Amino acid sequence: MKQNNMLAMILAGGRGSRLHELTNKVAKPAVSYGGKYRIVDFPLSNCANSGIDIVGVLTQYESVLLNSYVAAGGRWGLDARESGVFVLPPREKADSDLDVYRGTADAIAQNIDFIDQYSPEYVLILSGDHIYKMNYAKMLAYHKEMKADATIAVIEVPMKEASRFGIMNTDEAGHIVEFEEKPEHPKSNLASMGIYIFDWKLLRKMLLADMKDPDSHHDFGKDIIPDLLADGKTLVAYKYKGYWKDVGTIDSLWEANMDLLDSNNELDLNDPTWKIYTEDTPALPQYIGPDAKINKAFITQGCIVEGEVTNSVLFTGSTVGEGAKIIDSVLMPGVEVEAGAVVQRALVADGVKIGKDAVVGSADSEHIELVSKRVKGVE
Amino acid sequence: MAKALGIITSSGTHIRVEGMQEYRPIGAFSFLGRYRVIDFPISNMSNSGIDHIQVYVRRKPRSLAEHLGTGRHYNINSKRGKLQLLFAEHSSENDIYNTDIAYFMENIELIERSHLPYVVIAPNYMIYAQDYSALLNAHIESGADITLLYHSVDNAKEAFLNCDILNLNKQKGVESIEKNRGSAKNRNIFMDTYIMKKDLFIELIHKARKMSSMITLPQIVNASCGELDIRGIAHRGYFATITDFKSYFDANISLIDIKTAQNLFNPEWPIYTRTNDSCPTQYFDGAEIRNSVVSNGCLIEGTVENCVIGRGCEIKKGAVVKNSVILANSVICEDVHLENQVVDKWAKITKGREIISDPQAPGYIRRDDVL
Repeated sequence: MKQNNMLAMILAGGRGSRLHELTNKVAKPAVSYGGKYRIVDFPLSNCANSGIDIVGVLTQYESVLLNSYVAAGGRWGLDARESGVFVLPPREKADSDLDVYRGTADAIAQNIDFIDQYSPEYVLILSGDHIYKMNYAKMLAYHKEMKADATIAVIEVPMKEASRFGIMNTDEAGHIVEFEEKPEHPKSNLASMGIYIFDWKLLRKMLLADMKDPDSHHDFGKDIIPDLLADGKTLVAYKYKGYWKDVGTIDSLWEANMDLLDSNNELDLNDPTWKIYTEDTPALPQYIGPDAKINKAFITQGCIVEGEVTNSVLFTGSTVGEGAKIIDSVLMPGVEVEAGAVVQRALVADGVKIGKDAVVGSADSEHIELVSKRVKGVE
Repeated sequence: MAKALGIITSSGTHIRVEGMQEYRPIGAFSFLGRYRVIDFPISNMSNSGIDHIQVYVRRKPRSLAEHLGTGRHYNINSKRGKLQLLFAEHSSENDIYNTDIAYFMENIELIERSHLPYVVIAPNYMIYAQDYSALLNAHIESGADITLLYHSVDNAKEAFLNCDILNLNKQKGVESIEKNRGSAKNRNIFMDTYIMKKDLFIELIHKARKMSSMITLPQIVNASCGELDIRGIAHRGYFATITDFKSYFDANISLIDIKTAQNLFNPEWPIYTRTNDSCPTQYFDGAEIRNSVVSNGCLIEGTVENCVIGRGCEIKKGAVVKNSVILANSVICEDVHLENQVVDKWAKITKGREIISDPQAPGYIRRDDVL
């Protein structure tokens, strides 16, 4: 807080139901990504690296693992005095009953008391399920420079995909003049990244009004942003360039992992100046056996590879037995592929065992196969 | 919680690892990619419920101090536990007087003040897994004054030459401790690991001081064999000592074999270390890698065979690295050929260089060197 008078609130309550069994027991922000990370490590590390000390994490759907995971703020260096990660699930209050968060804006509104404790000048609203690296301090500097009431980070998307996003139409100076949620005929290709900086006093007032509005969806995109525009407030678009992914489906989660295999991948997890922090595990370094063959792979500690790995990402503690082949696939933490098995164009969920000589996935499938249950070996 | 104070000793003046040790004490040597040698004794103690640990360092404490930090990563209770780094500040110009007894003496109040009735003493230059609480129980049950840990080997003629050996009677009583002079194949190598009452330990320190300023802990224990009940307990599982350059190289290479490694690493007995937050390792098109142990954060495009690769190393296209130990952040450029080398941290081997040593006399490339 001392550094920039801004605290961050991460919206992490979503289920991500198009990730199917992967989010049966964990919320989407807790889904594993990139060999050793969970998705929520990205906004948390970005906060830590941007000099933000206070981070609230709003959880709701299947939050047991996520709550304990983010509460250990030391993982991201967010454990100094007057710094911390605060887990904020819905709660019963003296003057109101326990109620679920009715929308993204309501989640913040129900925690006005939390934010008020720190009396910040600015509040940064983030989404817990996006993969990207961003310096929020630069965005805040832009917010101040533009004398904005609210700043929204945007990314250029291909025009033909623009109708899948919330699109910001701006004037030449970068002021937002119109916001359209998933427009049929988009006028611009600047998609909202769901990253907002607000002046807290203003947002606080808007949230209190929104809470009482029976017709509101209590959503930033649908209600708060349009209301601010209608009130004639100064909203500016902060253009972000770089890697940004919202992994909503199995195909896109697979793809985001595959992106890491590219030697010039934009995300560059190896950048020592902007590390992404995560849980520390006491696993061994990776063991590559005498008959192993590895061609284009992203492999982390605790893995044991005795077979062949081609164009694949192996997460913490996954093992590939002798003669097994992993092709164009993602093995989540603790996956065990026994000898002779073949895994192709598949995403194998945490801890799943693929038996001896079994075959999963296929080279020409339209979609990536999600393997979330044990596959028996061939006798 | 064990009733013992853990004490981790530094290597004596008779031990010297060429090259590497000029930069840091053996405890701070990188080991098997992501570890440092001292992670093994500290994790053994932490897993045994010992949460008061004193680490003694003779010189060059910087890398050790940085690595140990608060000790939190060793799973030591952050309120009840304590990891102390103790220096021999008044060390003598003449190294012969810088004995383990000298640094214990210098910090004797800290040992005396401990409320724990026993001490477990282990070295920072040996690699093994051992449950000290089981050892402590065995020690208490036996009624012995001192229990020493040893490992029986059949290659003492050519290996462990810098170590002490235990001469045992049939009842595992220790008759004497002496240097391994390589005169016999089968020997009980002393693992420089002791269990005794704290009061006896303090008594021995004072006794040693009175005798001579050059005397060491194993020497005073040896001198006490007649009057004290000193017994040996055999250690089983993987055991390696880092007592010269070749033994450092060999210990790393030996653990590339996963079956051997499973004798040291057990999921129930984790070895902790300080995280570096490196991302996973990236293998590019054309990389060939076999029989190797690789840490995170590497970029590998060349050929790697029978190697231990530290964190954040780059092995570029066309490079061939065989039978070598590459420490963190080293860069092996295009078309380099390396065999039987230890490449120290941050070194860079430039394009096309060929450095091949005899497997019996591996080469050493210094820290930060550009060759």
